[in-house]
Amino acid sequence: MAHGDILVAEELVKSYGGVRALDGASIRLSGGEVHALVGENGAGKSTLVRILSGTLGADGGTVRAAKDARIAVVSQELSLFPDLTVRENLFPQHPPLRLGLLDRGAMDRAARPVLAELGLDVDPRTELGELPLADQQLTEIARALLRRPKLLILDEPTSALPAAAVDRLERVLRTLTDRGIAVLYVTHFLDEVMRFAQRVTVLRDGRVALAGVERAEVDVPELVSAMLGGRPEQPPRRARSLVDLPPPVVLSEVTVPGRLTDVTFTVRAGEVVGVAGLQGAGHLDALAVVCGRTAVSGGRVDVGGRGLPRSLRDAVRAGVAFVPSDRKRYGLMVDRTVWENTTAVSWLALGRGGIAPSRSELVRRTVELTERLRLRGGPYDLVARLSGGNQQKVVFAKWLATEPKIVVLDDPTRGVDVGVRAEMHRIVGELAAGGAAVLIASTDLAELTEVCDRVLVFVRGRVTEEVRGERLTEHGLAVAMQRPEVAASD
Amino acid sequence: MTETERAVDDAERAREQGGGQGRLTRRWRRLRPSARASEPVPRRWVRDEFGVLLVLGLLIAGIGIPYPDFLDTNNLLSTAHNSVYISLMACGMVFALSMREVDLSVGGTYAMCLVVGALLIRDGTAPWLAVPVMLATGIALGVFNALVTTLLALPSFIVTLGTLMLFRGVGLALADGKQITDLPLNDSFFTFAGGDPGGVPFALWVLLAVIVVLTVVLSRTRFGARVRAIGSNPDAAAFSGIPVVRTRIQALALSGLTTACAAALALAFYGAGDPTLGQGYELQAIAACIIGGTPLAGGRGSVVGAVAGAMILSVVASGLVFFEVPINWTSFATGGVILVAVAADSALRRTGRRRR
Repeated sequence: MAHGDILVAEELVKSYGGVRALDGASIRLSGGEVHALVGENGAGKSTLVRILSGTLGADGGTVRAAKDARIAVVSQELSLFPDLTVRENLFPQHPPLRLGLLDRGAMDRAARPVLAELGLDVDPRTELGELPLADQQLTEIARALLRRPKLLILDEPTSALPAAAVDRLERVLRTLTDRGIAVLYVTHFLDEVMRFAQRVTVLRDGRVALAGVERAEVDVPELVSAMLGGRPEQPPRRARSLVDLPPPVVLSEVTVPGRLTDVTFTVRAGEVVGVAGLQGAGHLDALAVVCGRTAVSGGRVDVGGRGLPRSLRDAVRAGVAFVPSDRKRYGLMVDRTVWENTTAVSWLALGRGGIAPSRSELVRRTVELTERLRLRGGPYDLVARLSGGNQQKVVFAKWLATEPKIVVLDDPTRGVDVGVRAEMHRIVGELAAGGAAVLIASTDLAELTEVCDRVLVFVRGRVTEEVRGERLTEHGLAVAMQRPEVAASD
Repeated sequence: MTETERAVDDAERAREQGGGQGRLTRRWRRLRPSARASEPVPRRWVRDEFGVLLVLGLLIAGIGIPYPDFLDTNNLLSTAHNSVYISLMACGMVFALSMREVDLSVGGTYAMCLVVGALLIRDGTAPWLAVPVMLATGIALGVFNALVTTLLALPSFIVTLGTLMLFRGVGLALADGKQITDLPLNDSFFTFAGGDPGGVPFALWVLLAVIVVLTVVLSRTRFGARVRAIGSNPDAAAFSGIPVVRTRIQALALSGLTTACAAALALAFYGAGDPTLGQGYELQAIAACIIGGTPLAGGRGSVVGAVAGAMILSVVASGLVFFEVPINWTSFATGGVILVAVAADSALRRTGRRRR
């Protein structure tokens, strides 16, 4: 290990089942530096972080740490207790005690310098849940710093933060590196990489695509290329015949406070339109508006010719089908049979089939759909017993049963295998060919380039670009999704 | 982790282990090689009630063999009659529990309906005409529970805990804290609805009809399926466009209706309106549902099971008399029976899962 290195990992290998999450990844972290780690979803970032922090064992490779190198991790999802005070949150494991009781004075004495250093000016007696999200995040960093780490790992710390909080974080990072701490900064936001980091490592498919290069030597398009690699581009887009009807989805200068600003777009019948953006960019909020999950403060919305849907049920009645990304929570009754799930919208919600239809009739309609979707499983099987791909087919089946006019898909192929993914895309194509307006979001950019006619790119709550035709490539989308001040400056 | 998530995890673990849930399960499967995954549902319908009916049968046999007098028709009928009011409340409660709601107010609803009916009859209303008013009162109180639950966005557990006392308080105030007597007891309402047409108490005929109707409603109608869907996964139900609020209003109204039904029958039988009647019935009704296989986590329910559960409580109380257990031990024994019945049912249920 060279002088100043806090942690050196070499040739790390880790597999989950048959899937290689890490395939010979190396990284070198030095004191006094912010080292950014970027990569697509599934590139192996989280696995690497967990191995470095010691919560996961590697199958192969070495991790060498400097003597007494304590490591603290601030994770993606806040791991704090909203009902406890700030003070109590700072000492979750071994709070200072006196006579067996919490020693509040000692807690405050220990906490005060750290809080001051972070510029977090809160009363330690405040309940954590009352603080804004950015302050909660700083509390979590403070908790990590109280363990006096040599290496601080920040796992996507800014995905939910407003711009001012990001500025503050930048100052905090500078303070930390001045003290000789090494920071590993995991993020999707390439502008933050350019602002905060001294070095950057790019992971792709479990391997290192760019190894610890200095920030000055790269720009955003180069980072995107490294993240995506030289993947073959898709065949040219097929021309769809659009039905000449009033468009089923119209958003006109729609504003949702803190989420969307002046968003305008339409989706015509027979069209597949993608929405893309980094976390919190507003593309998912646009889907929520169409699904009746969000109140709108300004602008005009028309969904299925019935105006703004005021509830989920309103949207369903307007002809919207919504395939959510978390299918177990929002899409399925997993303790029920396939037929009960398949008829949940057409019969239970919309009442097609009457008050008490014969069960065999409901089952017959289910079988019709499951055969069309090539579902592996019978109508009486419990959904919990199906594989992820087949569960997702049940979600599709329940919406196909309603013959939807508008299909909203949020990450429809998350966690399904390649074969099911291709089938889902075939179905999306069929729905559009049948005259449905399809709106799709996906964390898998390749999916958007494969199924969409055009993709609306959201940045900070606005539609900044519409990508179509030749430019509709993963690279094109990934660059467009970055914040304009960065993309423009390069 | 919510109940659903836990259930999903369990189910997934079971799937990964090839569907087996332990040695006992596997032995069962070997005995029944025909137990395939994709079989029509009616088999399940039988199994859900099987455990509690078995427990009820064993209890009756266990008391009847040493004390054959217990099996006397009149004694059995009166034992059943003792449980009829809680049975009716439990029939409605099944719908509330199946959609992850609780109606703790049934005791109060019962008292208030009873007082309303008795006052109307005392003040000259034809007794049979007072019945629809009582039923409407029960429905209105149920709707009130649902509206408050929805408007305040509170759990129905808390809301109905409040309305339980609220409704009983109204009953007590209307009745001036006293029993309402001086009712025209020779009216056909009291002689017929309070009597034993065909040798069986009228209330039991009503209960039988309610069981049949509500079983069909819960298992075969859209309303029943909505109730179970919401209980199974409230988020997915909302995302499917199922009218959750409307279904909640209907389910709690139904609970109010069956409770009012119990109140009308009690008025006919007792021939007086006592505002202190039915204290603690809400917990007994819930216990009956749970004994009968309706989980607090919702998603499923059994009307037959709930009634069987209520009968079990009544059989135990009656059996203790035969065993000459001092009266002060009744509560103790009832509590023990609840625990044993629930444990037995859950054990049966676990082996019963083999099929799926």
